[in-house]
Amino acid sequence: MLLNLNRLGWWKLVLFGITVLTTAFLLLPILFIAALSFGSSQWLIFPPPSWTLRWYQELFADPRWLASAWTSFQIAIIVTVLSVLLGLATSFGLTRGRFAFREGLKALFLTPMILPVVVLAVALYAFFLKIGLNGTLTGFVISHLVLALPFSILSIGNALEGFDKSIEDAAVLCGASPLEAKVRVTLPAISHGIFSAAIFSFLTSWDEVVVAIFMSSPTLQTLPVKVWATLRQDLTPVVAAASTLLILLTVLLMVLVAVVRKGLKS
Amino acid sequence: MSKPFLQIRGIRKEYGPVTAVQDVNLDVAQGEFLTFLGPSGSGKSTTLYILAGFEDPTGGDILLNGESLLSTPSHKRNIGMVFQRYTLFPHLSVGENIAFPLKVRRLPKAEIDAKVRQMLKLVRLEGFEDRKPAQMSGGQQQRVALARALAYDPPVLLMDEPLSALDKKLREEIQHEIRRIHQQTEVTILYVTHDQEEALRLSDRIAVFSKGVIDQIGTGPELYANPATRFVAEFIGDSDFLPCNVVSAGNGRAEIAICETMTVADIPLHGTASSGSKAALMLRPERLLLSKRQSESGLPVTVSDITFLGNNVHVATKTSKGNNLSVRLPFGHEAISGLNRGDAVWLKFDAESAHVFGQ
Amino acid sequence: MVSHTETDSGRAYAPTRVRRLTDFELTLPALVLLVLFFVVPVVILLMRSVTEPVPGLGNYVELLGSSTYLRIFTNTFLVSGLVTVVSLLIGFPVAWALAVMPGRAASIVFAILLLSMWTNLLARTYAWMVLLQRTGVINKVLIGLGLIDKPLPLVNNLTGVTIGMTYIMLPFIILPLYGVIKKIDPAILQAAALCGANRWQSLVRVLLPLAVPGMAAGALMVFVMSLGYFVTPALLGGTANMMLAELIAQFVQSLVNWGMGGAAALVLLVVTLALYAVQLRFFGTDRMGGR
Ligand SMILES: Nc1ncnc2c1ncn2[C@@H]1O[C@H](COP(=O)(O)OP(=O)(O)OP(=O)(O)O)[C@@H](O)[C@H]1O
Ligand SMILES: [Mg+2]
Repeated sequence: MLLNLNRLGWWKLVLFGITVLTTAFLLLPILFIAALSFGSSQWLIFPPPSWTLRWYQELFADPRWLASAWTSFQIAIIVTVLSVLLGLATSFGLTRGRFAFREGLKALFLTPMILPVVVLAVALYAFFLKIGLNGTLTGFVISHLVLALPFSILSIGNALEGFDKSIEDAAVLCGASPLEAKVRVTLPAISHGIFSAAIFSFLTSWDEVVVAIFMSSPTLQTLPVKVWATLRQDLTPVVAAASTLLILLTVLLMVLVAVVRKGLKS
Repeated sequence: MSKPFLQIRGIRKEYGPVTAVQDVNLDVAQGEFLTFLGPSGSGKSTTLYILAGFEDPTGGDILLNGESLLSTPSHKRNIGMVFQRYTLFPHLSVGENIAFPLKVRRLPKAEIDAKVRQMLKLVRLEGFEDRKPAQMSGGQQQRVALARALAYDPPVLLMDEPLSALDKKLREEIQHEIRRIHQQTEVTILYVTHDQEEALRLSDRIAVFSKGVIDQIGTGPELYANPATRFVAEFIGDSDFLPCNVVSAGNGRAEIAICETMTVADIPLHGTASSGSKAALMLRPERLLLSKRQSESGLPVTVSDITFLGNNVHVATKTSKGNNLSVRLPFGHEAISGLNRGDAVWLKFDAESAHVFGQ
Repeated sequence: MVSHTETDSGRAYAPTRVRRLTDFELTLPALVLLVLFFVVPVVILLMRSVTEPVPGLGNYVELLGSSTYLRIFTNTFLVSGLVTVVSLLIGFPVAWALAVMPGRAASIVFAILLLSMWTNLLARTYAWMVLLQRTGVINKVLIGLGLIDKPLPLVNNLTGVTIGMTYIMLPFIILPLYGVIKKIDPAILQAAALCGANRWQSLVRVLLPLAVPGMAAGALMVFVMSLGYFVTPALLGGTANMMLAELIAQFVQSLVNWGMGGAAALVLLVVTLALYAVQLRFFGTDRMGGR
């Protein structure tokens, strides 16, 4: 009844009405920003008096925007690679292992995900000040890795749990060494988990603001920090241009994910 | 039987306090089809996994052609195995699955292709090489797994309940395939099952497992005609047990009294028994003769149920002491015509078809 | 697999085997990383709350005793509570609608949910800063419709924070709730109807109770995430309406008062972990949150 579309009667209209409004609420700010980034008004008047590419020109003319984007990209790539590698080793250990404290260890590995980021940010800031890692690429990578690793362990761990170990055993009996069996059989079979781990790790680092605000120095800042710093001064449309590019990136990533998922399934 | 090809010597396996395998000893001849038959948890799979090298035994040794296998890691043992669950590599096609062990061994491509074709022919799946495992039925997947395990000509093939996930009809079909493939390749097969019919249909010899040890090894007819323990008697074929008193015992034979009315002499005796001790008499439903006429030498029973089972008729009876005894007769047997529930009948049996199990 | 190297009889049969990494050893690199750069720094920070500037509980007395800080705690709990309630009120009908919608329409809604979730947090917050400002679209539309005469103050206050945070949290409540409702067997509701329940009774007596565990788990997660949120309150709330996470950052960055910063961090940490413990205890799931 209540879960049957045809029996809902006028309730259906209410439910769908709320859904349409909510969807619009979720979508509108994103479309709005994209539209504003092409508007000519310095004060972000909507609808804009005329259309222009001026804010994009300003964005690309400023080397600090490009530099921060490049820094973000470098950090995100390194974090992705390390997070996937560590996630693989850890997931194999946690899924296959039968040692004491396994559950406790699992919980510890996932805590950075549930802890308020600001606590970690402040703690790492103090710690890095002492050991001289503040404002360095290494510092960024380490702190983002701590944040990304739980997602990686979760995605790969789930995939590995759904993978029958007998298949790997079969490969070993076929003559593949244990390592070869993992590389040639297990990894391809859990590739969807590895892929999710990579996407989540990349996004975690690429979008991360809070830790980055504390970690950055005048010479080394990530794109989110640059956006943050700009926003604290004024609401310039250049940020709208930068945001639109970030939204575009998100859409591209979603398409990539959809395509890869489809490819992995068939 | 030729000289021992595979020898299992005093294998033991403990998981902490649990003893999975107590003491397994076994000689297997080259080309033999030997089945491990036993109930769940009796240690069949554990023994197989030790042979495959996935588990290290707590004690004992395994010799192949006189040399110990235990120091060889799994991937160098050159043993084939088909698992209970489907273990085809999901991302590889059927052809690539069969080619996998050959590629790992770095064989030339032409040789691999030829072998894959030969194997597909062996399991009758020509034309399927480009399918993915997910597009195959369970029975087909297990046939591919068999082809993959045989592709590198292993001296020994292990099969751990490979058909248990399939329905009865398909299972029988693939049992025939396995028999044919065994005859064609002459590979030595160790096969695990808890289905006695499957064991009897496939094997040269059967090892009956119980609680981590092998109770008895022999051909199907041997186990049926001469069960060494009550457990084997219960497991192979149908059987009923009657409590009895031993009148005299000696030379592996016993004379016993049942239901106080009847004594039978010269029944094969297993275990120990002496005059006056209690024992169990095993009778097989298909070896009992039923008669409606009273006779001194017959055991008086009452018919409690009659069930028609296609070509057989099953007559359930009760002794005066309340013990159940089943009788199986071919359909249309004259003894059944006009038989009704509650009728008094008399059962006779040949001393050689019965067994007495002492303490 | 644990390898035994010796048999009962004392004969070593496996020494030639290359020793493989044990499963525990595989987790070691990550464990070292986490202990060194997560556990140790957090513990040091919390220690400083009782050692700086002088040993003792002085920082906690000041933090929990002063009305300024108390207002910040109130703000934090108020906003988090509001965000949770509003998300739940909007999220339940949406999740329900998603569960009965034809697949095509549902996948469009899902795509929009994902797009919103995955879009950079700062970009989304920026959009709300622009939309909610005095000369922004929302005020213009409201005035144009004749609902108000002069612009409402929608930003730089807790209203702005609540709107922005609800926007961010909605997907986090819709997705788990959808999972819970989708798992309910429609036959149960057919049975309720056959028992004579009308739609309203079916909703209150059957559907809602079945969805309660999912709602509670989702709500708790949104509440906990909101408590520790930093970016959105900082940008939409303005300096006068601080929340707890901002306070921690301020202690450390502008005031360089590590003792108070550590104390505030501990308070946030304790509340967060306590609420997660409640969730694990009563709902037994390890549903995960975002940033
Ligand atoms: N890894 C393990 N840890 C602890 N006990 C185990 C382990 N593997 C097997 N056992 C125990 O060893 C005993 C024998 O198990 P095994 O799998 O060999 O039985 P089986 O004869 O193959 O039974 P089935 O017909 O159910 O497959 C069982 O009691 C089982 O619980
Ligand atoms: Mg088994």
